[in-house]
Parts: sequence; structure tokens; C-alpha cells
Amino acid sequence: MFVPSVAGAPAPADATRPGRPRRKLRLAPYLYLIPAVILLVTWTYKPLVESFWLSFFDWNLIPTSPKSFVGTENYTTVLTLPELHQALLNTGVYILAFLVFSLLLPVAIALLARRVKGRAKTVYQALIFIPFLLTPVATSAIWRWLFAPEGGTIPTIAATFGWDMGNVFRDPALSIWAVIVIVGWQMLGFGVLVISAGLAGINPDYSAAAALDGASTRQITWKIIVPLLSPSLVFMGLMTVLLSAQWTYPIIDIVTQGGPSGSSTNIYYLLYQFGFRNFDAGLAAAAGTLFFVGFGLIALIFVELTERLSFHDN
Amino acid sequence: MAFATIDTTLPIQPTRASAPTGGAASAATRSKANDEPVATRSLPRLVVGHVLLIVLALFSVFPVYWMFATAFRAPEDALSQNVIPWPLSLENFSYVVDAIPIMGMLANTFGMALVLAVAQLFVALLASYGFAMWDFPGKKVLFLVFVGSWLVPFQVTMIPNYVLVSQMGLLNTIAGVVVPNLCSAFAVMLMRQHMESFPRELLDASQMDGRSSWGTLWLVVVPNLKPALAALGIMLFISAWNEYLWPTLILQNSDALIQVGIRSFLGTEGNNWGAVMAASGLACLPIFLIYIFLQRYVVDAFVRSGLK
Repeated sequence: MFVPSVAGAPAPADATRPGRPRRKLRLAPYLYLIPAVILLVTWTYKPLVESFWLSFFDWNLIPTSPKSFVGTENYTTVLTLPELHQALLNTGVYILAFLVFSLLLPVAIALLARRVKGRAKTVYQALIFIPFLLTPVATSAIWRWLFAPEGGTIPTIAATFGWDMGNVFRDPALSIWAVIVIVGWQMLGFGVLVISAGLAGINPDYSAAAALDGASTRQITWKIIVPLLSPSLVFMGLMTVLLSAQWTYPIIDIVTQGGPSGSSTNIYYLLYQFGFRNFDAGLAAAAGTLFFVGFGLIALIFVELTERLSFHDN
Repeated sequence: MAFATIDTTLPIQPTRASAPTGGAASAATRSKANDEPVATRSLPRLVVGHVLLIVLALFSVFPVYWMFATAFRAPEDALSQNVIPWPLSLENFSYVVDAIPIMGMLANTFGMALVLAVAQLFVALLASYGFAMWDFPGKKVLFLVFVGSWLVPFQVTMIPNYVLVSQMGLLNTIAGVVVPNLCSAFAVMLMRQHMESFPRELLDASQMDGRSSWGTLWLVVVPNLKPALAALGIMLFISAWNEYLWPTLILQNSDALIQVGIRSFLGTEGNNWGAVMAASGLACLPIFLIYIFLQRYVVDAFVRSGLK
């Protein structure tokens, strides 16, 4: 329909399918899609396959040095590495902690603050969104300063309560929590805005009807609002699981380098270290393949959940 | 997945604001006693809401404020905990400007982010037009190709991509940062949604006027999607500006971009907090300027696109 040269004279089929052009092989859609598809294949899918292929080789990333085939050795090495176990455990801790910042707190705040309207609301929203926009290097620098043992605001305040914090980033028990606070700080406002938008999208007639039938505020919240909110909740959950590793990377890289002794690392930072610190491309590729499969499964579960849990509001 | 729920613009929700009261009023048959507790309950709740949001806003803004406060202190006051920086001084900024070519870095990063945002927007515009306007064999598969790419973590593809960029001779160049990111699957999906809801009659009219699909795209679709394109463009620019991992991999021997430059400045300046905060403040400046002038757009774009 949009490519007269290919489509030719209008056929009767057009009348039966208003809006969509006839089902006839035409070139135009493919031409429009080609640039994007070529780029995706070149920079996402081809490297994914290459990464899988590399995972069976031993290679130090230097183009001139040979790749030697080692079979599944990289996989057995990766799975028995203590660093990996620590990183996996930390990844779990990170994700659970981030779910508090991206879901639990935002839902609580959005529900408690939903009566705040108008100009005040716009101003609050503008302010709480700022951390999400901040450049990661700046975020890291700011929090390094806030946590600085000498003159940092947080240890100074802690000292007045009699707690000598020391350098949290060098403390194996605290470093992971420091990273969680920093990334959580970046996510919280975004979470609140997404959940508030979800709340705003719920037709108030349901709550009003339930209130007329004598439902209590608590009942309305848990039986009507939260289920209707489930698409936003599932979405934020998926975002958190899939992106938390991405969000933590710059902070870990600048603030703790995964340390001390692996206490704040996560699997993606470990992948980076395998590849670009130890120059062990095979190991990094094997670990990457495993995590791709693992996270893919988690994502599929979430997608399935979305389908099941979505009560559409119309 | 879940976009059905989030099509309301964020800051203003007239329907929600007015409807509960409207609903209550329409229940004229109910006794007034039933309405009363709701009204009395809502005042404390409103106060709780304000208090919560004020605390949250302070928590969100204080670190950023502290960055600028420290940056504007005189260097000898760097460790001061005084909430208001006084006397103000620009010495930290002039120190940074002398120590590293930060203005050049800012210009480079600005150019990089602009090129990337425009390119991603262009590629996404074409692809989403292809998706939204036609039914064609293989459409489902191609669609999955785009959605599925979200599941491929960047860290999994980075080694082969690094090798490819180095084979292209683009290591330590800004082009090496830009080229692998020219297509954003996320932008394609987002644009497709806008295209899908584009009024069909306009397209039919354009076709009756004898325009080609290419002409329709530029003369009919693009002018009507300007707000959506602008919002997406801003978002892509901010994301490109804040990109960290790939630039640090590609620019290992170069400080051309702000992220990489500040990172090495952090390494060398360590505890010179005044200078470090001044540099960080400069690194955020363009984003803050965009945010100050286009706050509503930015929040809307990120939050709404959040739900894809």
C-alpha cells in the first residue's frame, strides 16, 4: 500500500483488510528493517555465538596468539572456582537488596503518598528522580566522599553516635552494603515514579465501588490496588533482576574493585576481570554463556508471570 | 508486556484526583456518616505523604547538593561539614580545568552522545516504521530478534565485540565507542508502540495523495511524532552520556570522554575532594541543564518507557 511500485493497482483484498496492506511479498518492510537487523546481528547475536564458541578454547585475547581447543574444561574450571561461588552469592544478595529499593519501598511510599497531588507532587517527583540521571562516575565520587574516613559526612555522623566506621569500602563486612546503598539510592526514586505512574493508571472507580460496598481501606489496598498494580510490579522486578548487575558495575569498578577479597564483587564484574584483567577469554566466555542461560531462564519466568498476573484494567 | 497500565502522563492525573470524590458524591443515597471517616482519615494521610516525600526528596538530593557544596568551597575548607559553603570559591574548578583537559572531554562526550542519540533514533525510526506499517513473512521472528537482544547481557558479548573493534582499528577512538551501539533495540520497541497507535486515516490519506512510503514517513509520520521522538532522543542522549563500561574498555589509553577522564582523575587526585567534586559536578552539568529545562519530558520519557 505504501510502495506503489510494488503494490500495483489496488486489489479487492484491500477492502477486506483495511489498514494493513495485502499479504503479498513486498520489499519495503525489509528495507526499513535492514539497518537495525544488521547492527543487532553484528554487535549482539554474532558475538553471542562467538562467545559460546570461545568458551571451548583457551585464549589470552591477543590476536596473534593461537586459540587452543580445551573442550569443556573452561566450564568445569568456572564452576569450581571459589571466586565464582562468592560472586554468585553476592549477586543474589544484591538482587534481593535491590528489590527492596526498587519494589518494596517504592510500593510503600507510593501507596502512602498517593494523596499528595498537584504542584507539590511535581516538585517531589522532579527531586527524587535526580539520582537516576546522575553520571555513574559522579555518583561513585560523591559517595566515596560521603563515606570518606576523614571528613566524610556519614562517618562523621556515625562517630557522634559512637560508631567508628573506618573505611567502609575496605571493610569486608561492609563493602557490599555500601555498594547497595549507593545503587539503591539511584534506583529508589525511579521505582517510586514507576509505581506511582502505575497507581495513577488504575481506574479509581474500582476502589470507589468497593468502598461503597463497605470494603475497608486496607482491603481495597490489598485486594484491588495491589493486584491491578501487578504489571508494574513484575516489570520493576524484571528490571531489577536483569539490570542490577549493569547498574552496580560502575560503582563496583570505581569504589571497591570488587574487594576487599571479593566481598563486594558480582558475576558481571567477575566476567570483566576474567576477560580484561586476567586476559582469560575462554573462561570469561564460559562464565558468560552460563549466566546468559541462567538469566534468560529467570527472564522467561518473569514474562510468564506477567502473562498470568496481568489483570488488565479495561 | 505491561504498557497497558502506564499510559497516563505522570504529574497530572485529573481523573484520579477528582474521581473518588465524584464517586462518593454520586452515592447520594448513602448516609453522610459513611463519607465522613474517609474525609477525616485523609488529612493525616496527606501529612504522612508529604513528610515521606520530603524525606525521600532530601535523601535523593542531599548527596548531589553536597557535591556542589564541596566543589564551591575554598580548597582549605574542603573538609568542612558546614551545610552552606561559605565563602564561595571557584578555585576547585580552575584547578580542575588546569589539571585535565575537561572542557575538551565535555565537548567530545557531548558530540559522542549527540551522534549516538541521533543515529539510534534514525535506525529505530526506520525499523519501527517497517514493523508497524506492514504485515510480512518473518515479522514475528524479527520481532523476537529485537526483544531477545535484551536478554543478552553486555558482559557476555564484550570480548568478541572488543576484538572486532580492535580489528577495525578503532581502539582508543570515540568511533569505537559509537559504532557498536548504533542500534538500540529498546528504542525500536518504544518507537514501534508510538507507530502502532498512529492514526491510520492519515497514512491512507497520504497514500491516496500518491506519496511513497518514504515520503509518508518524513512528511506525515515524523512531523506528527515529534514529541515522542524528542522524548526518546533526550533519553538516548542521557543514556549515551552516562554510558560507562564500554567507553572504559575501548578508551584504555585515552581520556577523550568524560567518564574515562574523571575515572583516572579520581585515581590520581584521591582525597582532593574539592577538585574531585568540581570535576564530577562538571561531568553532570549537561544532564542537569537538560533536566532543568525539560524536566517533565525527561521524567515522562524514562518512566513511561519503563513499561514496555
